Amino acid sequence: MLKIEHLSKTYGQRRVLQDLSLSVGAGEIYGLLGPNGAGKTTTINILCNLLQADRGQIGINGQPVSAKTKCLIGVAPQETLIYRHLTCAENLRFFANLYGLTGRGQRERVEACLAAVDLADRAASVAETLSGGMQRRLSLAIALVHQPKLLILDEPTTGLDLEARFAMWELIHQLQRDGITILLTTHLLDEAERLCDRIGMLKQGQLLAEGSMAELRQLIPAQEIVLIQTPAEDAAIARAAALNFPQRRYGRDLAFWLPQPMELKAILTQFEGIPLDSVSRQPVRLEHIYLEVMQRSP
Amino acid sequence: MKYWYETIAVARRILTELGRRKRSLLFWAVFPIAVLLLNGLIFAERSKTALPDPLTLGQALERAAPATLVGAALFFSCLGGSVATVVSEREHHTLKRLFLSPLSGVSYFLGIGLAHSAIAIGQTLLIGMTAVALGARFQGSIGLAAIVICLSILAYVGVGFILGTQLARRTEDVNTLVAAFGVPLLILGGAFVPAFIFPKVLLDLAQYNPIFHMNEALTKIVAEGNELAEIGFHFWFLVGFAGLMLLAGWLSYRRMLQVERRL
Repeated sequence: MLKIEHLSKTYGQRRVLQDLSLSVGAGEIYGLLGPNGAGKTTTINILCNLLQADRGQIGINGQPVSAKTKCLIGVAPQETLIYRHLTCAENLRFFANLYGLTGRGQRERVEACLAAVDLADRAASVAETLSGGMQRRLSLAIALVHQPKLLILDEPTTGLDLEARFAMWELIHQLQRDGITILLTTHLLDEAERLCDRIGMLKQGQLLAEGSMAELRQLIPAQEIVLIQTPAEDAAIARAAALNFPQRRYGRDLAFWLPQPMELKAILTQFEGIPLDSVSRQPVRLEHIYLEVMQRSP
Repeated sequence: MKYWYETIAVARRILTELGRRKRSLLFWAVFPIAVLLLNGLIFAERSKTALPDPLTLGQALERAAPATLVGAALFFSCLGGSVATVVSEREHHTLKRLFLSPLSGVSYFLGIGLAHSAIAIGQTLLIGMTAVALGARFQGSIGLAAIVICLSILAYVGVGFILGTQLARRTEDVNTLVAAFGVPLLILGGAFVPAFIFPKVLLDLAQYNPIFHMNEALTKIVAEGNELAEIGFHFWFLVGFAGLMLLAGWLSYRRMLQVERRL
């Protein structure tokens, strides 16, 4: 559905994208992760034909990016971009008109989109009277009104409360079940882990790692991670080194990578003689992989 | 058809938003009526001392109506309205959403023009009907008057695009722009004070003011029954100015697109 090959973009002396290549299959949710300035928004701008790349090619459903491919793409930007003085239905009708939808077809799409984002009962509500979560869902409905093949969600849940976030996640899963291909950018790693079939990690315009969660887990030689709180950190680190447990710090937490899963009792045995305040086991999560990938690159 | 649908969609959206703000709609109606009545009363009173045969209120309104329409009502609806629309889109970033859609720049430009033209036509009818109801009897060519009104609308929308895209980023900027550029031009154009009482130096200066020419052209058509030949200088000045402003407005809009066309 989406194929990006050797994409490069420079602003003045600053290289924003460097030979970026990735592909997203039909019906897949692809998560693009990276710190601010990694090139995520620039990539979206190029995909949407708002910016020209210096080099490289993009194919959307087999077509090179142009004004025509705008109709294949739906974008829900990070900011909630809606007309606040229009009702939900009027917002959708306006954008449906811009995409050339008229008459009965337009009415049906407006109703379907409002239903899809669970705003059917708020069709006549003025957008500014909706809650933040509802406004975000309306913004998503606008992105869907012309039945895009590729949906780009830029930080879809940033600023939403937990309940609204869960609702948005369910909605994204539903859109995938409806056959829509989704390219998603997010800073929330649990969101990417929960939603994405494949994930790409971008830093300074370069794709550092890419794959499914199972594939990405291969990037670090750990089956499990153990977090330890102890007043004798040096002793714990020395013991872990002797056991060949690589040591990391996640924030202030002292962590060790376990090469294979271990029962709590076995872990306590390995650290016997060192005073431990707490020990907790964690599976290898995307945040661990992400930090490792980002720190390995210069 | 694409341009047609898009233009209508943009215009309908602007008018729907205006309709939702009923208070604003009411003020758009109150403002020209208030200026018309004030201008009419000033004309009528001044004529008692300045003319051998004083004007009736109806005759005074015949002269006050053109000044009120092109000099005040259309200025605020078409110029101020266009600036406000563009600035609001920039301020609320909805312009970015439009960039993502297939909406063409031409349709957007025409849509804003059409929406504010609709408001302007409403104001024209309101002013005309009020003046007639109070005794005014307009003369001259309706077609020529309509052309002058259309040229005035185009000129104002063009200037609105220039100001909205180049000089105003926030809603607050609109006030300062209108205060700095608009009010002096309106006064010098004879919108609030009849031009015939201007001292010579201001009258000479007014020759460079497009609002003065809009005002003079329309007044001479509807109050004195002049034909194109008699208002030629005002008319062609206005044609040139409207064309220039449309071109400059379009170029300003294109420049804004180049600068802001990204998420």
